[in-house]
Amino acid sequence: MSLHKFIHKNVVLQYNHFQLLAISSRKLSIIPSVYDGEQDPGPKFFSSGVQALLKRLTRPDFSKVFRKRTNSNRPVLKTPEYKFLTNEELQSEFSKANKTAARLLQMPPVVKVHQPINEVLSKDPALVGYDNTKYLFTDITFGVPNEDRLIVERDPDGTLQMCDHDTRKRLNQGRKVREPMMFADEEKLNGLLEAEKYEYILDRACIQYEPDELSYQKVTSITYQHVDMKTNYKLLRSTRHFGPLAFYLTWHQSMDNLMLELLQTGVIREAVLLMGLRQAIHEDIAFASDLNALVHQVLPMPVQASKPDSLSEVDIQLDNQCIDCVVKYIAKNSAMKSQQELALQGFREDYQQMVELSRGLRKAHGEA
Amino acid sequence: MPLPPASGTGKYFARAAKSIRLIRQGCTNRPFFHISVTHRRRLNSQPVIEQLGSYDPMPNFNNEKLVALNLERMKFWLGQGAHVTTPVAELLGLSGFFPIHPRSYMTAWRNRRTERENLEKQKEAEAAATSKAE
Repeated sequence: MSLHKFIHKNVVLQYNHFQLLAISSRKLSIIPSVYDGEQDPGPKFFSSGVQALLKRLTRPDFSKVFRKRTNSNRPVLKTPEYKFLTNEELQSEFSKANKTAARLLQMPPVVKVHQPINEVLSKDPALVGYDNTKYLFTDITFGVPNEDRLIVERDPDGTLQMCDHDTRKRLNQGRKVREPMMFADEEKLNGLLEAEKYEYILDRACIQYEPDELSYQKVTSITYQHVDMKTNYKLLRSTRHFGPLAFYLTWHQSMDNLMLELLQTGVIREAVLLMGLRQAIHEDIAFASDLNALVHQVLPMPVQASKPDSLSEVDIQLDNQCIDCVVKYIAKNSAMKSQQELALQGFREDYQQMVELSRGLRKAHGEA
Repeated sequence: MPLPPASGTGKYFARAAKSIRLIRQGCTNRPFFHISVTHRRRLNSQPVIEQLGSYDPMPNFNNEKLVALNLERMKFWLGQGAHVTTPVAELLGLSGFFPIHPRSYMTAWRNRRTERENLEKQKEAEAAATSKAE
């Protein structure tokens, strides 16, 4: 081969390489933001008030919570059983189902990223040359939990030190030693995101990582941002990942798109709960006392899966209070004022019609 | 007769001398050791009193040698007056549980010496090669 040809081939190769890079960088517009700041999100996330708000915002729908799953642990699907039950038995079955749902919807914790471990126990330069491999020592004393297990390494240069998190994780086992390709290869993760397999990604991340790991927080952050960008909140509702999603968006002050979606779908009460969440996390809402009172009123109300058939006067009064609150929020705190105002306007018109209809119906029935 | 369990059968005489030693378990060309406590006068092929850990002398994919130690039971048997053989004492020394064993230091400086000598030989050979070429 002549030199000229060789150079030409090389240049073509480089050009192709460059093109590939350009494509991947266009797709990778999401920059993950993790919980690594001064403030620890853990105490806020675990506080009972925030937990109640997040669980309610999840909007659990039993047909989705108890849907059929392709689960490797349960190879045989049970045939459904039909029974005649008394009212009391039915109530106990309902409470059982509620408990199971609460377990299935338990949210993965949101905590700060862990700090690297560099605790050197001793340095012994006289051991240089003893061996050219590392020695890892694990204490296998019975009854010690994996996170408290003593794991140390002796390096070839004679340093004895505590192992870092990745080594600890490898030695403690319990999950795949090599990272799955979908997390290791960004292209593959992008493919899954494009296919909107959010729940699959988040479930797999829960299995593979600890919640305080940097990789976990990066993967979940990218997924949450993608959901937010595409307004695909519907796909994560009534799964255990909606709470952390709402928390993430509120924590990073970008929950206005979610608020807009709530207003557009006409779930005004949840919009108030989302404002309550913002107040609980950031405490930056001016009408805090009104808001908190309203949140306390809304929380015990049942979840509205679909539009109600008729509205009682109590409902109408509560909804009007919610609308007032949202108006104040849009005026003072919102980052998407015009869109949210438009959505609220649309909701108000619909709502007015519904109110008139239900009042008319009641009149026709002679109830009012 | 079935093999005794790797964790040991636990049968022993209270007053007899014990020793904590490496017991080879792998197969041909693949050494693997259990760290076990057994009677001093017993053979390595006989059932042990208790297994206290393991040692894999072949480096793994990440160039690491893995050692597992049940430190709680180790302390118990040391308290009972069990003897520790040199290879185990070396491992315990490297782990920071014991002071470093003198033999570890000996191995280290012997390895360093061999390396130094090899380097010198290599240099001499290179010098000889260059002088020949001239």
